[in-house]
Amino acid sequence: MSTLRTEEMTLNMGPQHPSTHGVLRFVVRADGEVMREAIPDVGYLHRSIEKIAEKVGYRGFMPYTDRVDYVCAMFTNQGWGMACEKIAGIEVPKRGEYCRVIAAEFNRIASHLLSVGAMAMDIGAMTPFAHVIREREMINDLIEELCGARLTFNYMRIGGVAWDLPPGWREKALAYLDHFDPILEEYNALISWNKIYIERLANVGVITPAEAINYNLVGPNLRACGIKWDIRKDIPYSVYPEFEFEVPVGTGQWGKLGDSMDRYVVRIREMAESSKILRQALEKIPPGAVLAKVVRNFKPPAGECQIRLESGRGDMGWYLVSDGTGYPWRVHVRTGSFAAMGIIQKLSAGLMIADLVTLIASLDVIAPEIDR
Amino acid sequence: MQTLIQNLIASGLFGKNPPSELVAAIVVFVMSALVFVAVALPFAGIVTWVERRVWARIQSRVGPNRVGPQGFLQWLADGVKVVCKEDIVPDDADARLFKLAPYLVMLAFILPWAVMPFSSSLILADMNVGILYMTAVTALTVVGVLMAGWASNNKWSLIGGVRSAAQIVSYEIPAGLSIFPVVLMTGTLSMQGIIRAQGWAPQHWFLFANPFTFVAANILYMSSLAEANRTPFDLPEAESELVAGFATEYSGWRYGCFSMAEWGNLFVIGAIITTLFLGGWQFPHVTNNVVAMNVLEVIAFLVKVLFLVFVSMWIRATLPRVRIDQLMTACWKYFVPISFVDMIGTAVWVTIWPEGNAAMGYIMFAGAIVLGAIFIQRVIYYLRRSRMEVYFNPTI
Amino acid sequence: MIAVSEYVHNIKDTVSTIFEGMAVTASHFMRKPYTVQYPDRMPVRVQDTLPFRYRGILEVDLEICTGCLACERACPIDCIVIVADKDQQTRQLLLSQFDIDIAKCMYCGLCSEACPTGSIHHTTEFEGADYSLESLIRRFVQDPVMAYKAKKGPETDPRIAPILNRGMAYLDQWAQPGGEKPGGEEPA
Repeated sequence: MSTLRTEEMTLNMGPQHPSTHGVLRFVVRADGEVMREAIPDVGYLHRSIEKIAEKVGYRGFMPYTDRVDYVCAMFTNQGWGMACEKIAGIEVPKRGEYCRVIAAEFNRIASHLLSVGAMAMDIGAMTPFAHVIREREMINDLIEELCGARLTFNYMRIGGVAWDLPPGWREKALAYLDHFDPILEEYNALISWNKIYIERLANVGVITPAEAINYNLVGPNLRACGIKWDIRKDIPYSVYPEFEFEVPVGTGQWGKLGDSMDRYVVRIREMAESSKILRQALEKIPPGAVLAKVVRNFKPPAGECQIRLESGRGDMGWYLVSDGTGYPWRVHVRTGSFAAMGIIQKLSAGLMIADLVTLIASLDVIAPEIDR
Repeated sequence: MQTLIQNLIASGLFGKNPPSELVAAIVVFVMSALVFVAVALPFAGIVTWVERRVWARIQSRVGPNRVGPQGFLQWLADGVKVVCKEDIVPDDADARLFKLAPYLVMLAFILPWAVMPFSSSLILADMNVGILYMTAVTALTVVGVLMAGWASNNKWSLIGGVRSAAQIVSYEIPAGLSIFPVVLMTGTLSMQGIIRAQGWAPQHWFLFANPFTFVAANILYMSSLAEANRTPFDLPEAESELVAGFATEYSGWRYGCFSMAEWGNLFVIGAIITTLFLGGWQFPHVTNNVVAMNVLEVIAFLVKVLFLVFVSMWIRATLPRVRIDQLMTACWKYFVPISFVDMIGTAVWVTIWPEGNAAMGYIMFAGAIVLGAIFIQRVIYYLRRSRMEVYFNPTI
Repeated sequence: MIAVSEYVHNIKDTVSTIFEGMAVTASHFMRKPYTVQYPDRMPVRVQDTLPFRYRGILEVDLEICTGCLACERACPIDCIVIVADKDQQTRQLLLSQFDIDIAKCMYCGLCSEACPTGSIHHTTEFEGADYSLESLIRRFVQDPVMAYKAKKGPETDPRIAPILNRGMAYLDQWAQPGGEKPGGEEPA
């Protein structure tokens, strides 16, 4: 009797899909439930933001940087500010740097909250997502009082920040942090240490340290493989050297080192660390100016510069080439999600379709950041 | 039920000398239709509203509260919407199978109501193989789901349908095996027989009769959840992977059939567990008035079933989904061996104590109260730790 | 094959973590929902609860607009169109058109930052949905008006003074470059 003829299915996990984080498309070659390969297809969110910079000028580009990664808008704002300041040699006043750090760390908590909540929802639990959104709403209320917007902040300017902390804000922020720390432990009891959840995440999408470096992964994806690399500690910028905080790395205690559970737990621990940084920053913030004097028509000298900062998704690089006029000659952003898309194709062999969703969620891929 | 009909005929309701078999058949027919239309269908609708309100409170939200008082008419509005939608049958789909599948799934939902024991005399058909019939008939969903998955001509639906078939067929085994301890203890498969073998007080329920039946009850509950495609076993309709699984291509009232069957099955699951392990409609004999006793018994049955339905919703809001291979591992490596152990353990127990062991009932009941107290203590711990406002009013 | 201890451990872990999870959700069941039941079951209008710095729909106080066109230059999206010509007779700036296309506006705040008097500012209005695209172009000039000329001392005109005070209070919220002032107070 001849052997049964089987063929593999080609599925399309299309741009419209309830799970993928933004508009992504995967062409999946699967043998039933087990995948042979998942080929990512990006570009659905390309908006030519880098080209727009050449049209609107230095000051006008700041609101556009919000849209590069709308979940981590403060970091993109800070990146653009730092790039312009480095090329023109502007120094940000101390209080301005503290305001930047405070805003950025709140944004990091909000971004990681969304990441862990979306991951829980992709795994099937809908309650943690709703709780996460509630916590994000409280952070958004705080930031709304600070800068007037809840998602696309446009808070930072070239030379500092646009608004100082309003009166009474420090107390509200500290009260929020007092509320947040027990909520994080409650969230862990609900979902992070749940046996079903750990079984879904452990040993899925294991990335070895060598692979992580070869594929250019950054941020929590890299730290989950055991590599202790954080721009805030290793290439310090702003006033981060003045704060005491740990850099959590993956330990591989639930499965192999570098699996999805490690990536998830690194994000949870980073939120606790951000809370620590925020408390220190809110205590130590000095009085003074928040914005350096910069001319209205900002014309930096010709040249190029590159800065790196640690955003919610990892090492975000901003590369700026100026030709001496009021409009940049070239802007380029290097984001962590773009590299993460590359490794998905390699890791997908042998995973089940349900695991593909877990993998994408654990790499914390945000589509606008990939395509800009 | 037969005695009820005899009494009705004897009381002269149908004239002097009616053809009693014909009258009995018509009465049963009308009562079945009534049960289905007036109990099963509204329940399937109302439970969607309750589920959404319960989930919402668990998720710090409010849930539907605008359509009608407290949003009570939301399910009606949703039902009307679902019926008014365009009924699309995909071009390349196998039209006959595509249209047949929802009917089979609805059938699997309707048929168990024939043996649903609402009270000591309100049961449509007290078959002497009642529980076996119920188990057999709820397994019809496999055929319907597999048909829906294949006939949709959609690879994602096919994956959902095949997953579901594997899941339901696998979990039939622990479910069936977990019924055996009860059958061993009562010697009958009939629903009323099993209920009459229990008492109204918790220590006389089969849930607390011996540790093996306690475990069997839990295994039966979880297997029933798996058969009904409820979280944590809702892979066939895993929203974040396969938009709606096997029901992706269905629209309009056909999709309504699938939904109604899924939510209505919650009641069926609750009824099975209540009958077998929680004492069914048993209520202390407080009055000699037959009608009043029946009403009280119906209330007792409904309270127990609705509590189990609430627990199903609560579990769905709490737990994530298991993957297909973990689901199979759980079934074959954990549930089935444990069910066998229960069966053998109960057989040994029944040999040693044929009349049951009352002391064990009290011990197990006390253990359950201790567990409940620990649970409440954890709940109060979490309530105190978070600084959020405590608010018991469900009608926000 | 897994060892018996691991088997029992798996069962124990599953049961205990599910128990904890259900305790957390049960505790949530008894907490106050965080939902704000907009728009009808609110004690106060949402617009009145928003902070002063909220970047809602733009509005122009023409009484204090100086016609300097700083906002038009600052806007990265070119959604502000102003026509301010020097009137031949009175030798003063005459504003004949001031249109803001709130469909294009991205609510970034760069225009209100650039304004010297706080004439163009964000309000707390956010409900702008309408049925026609035309209505989303807000035309603030009906008849041509004279642009405002800032006085040396405090403003004496009782009609314009409160508007100017509010505009300057709005501007006070913004950081002053190099200034030591630690942020503004909200107006009464």
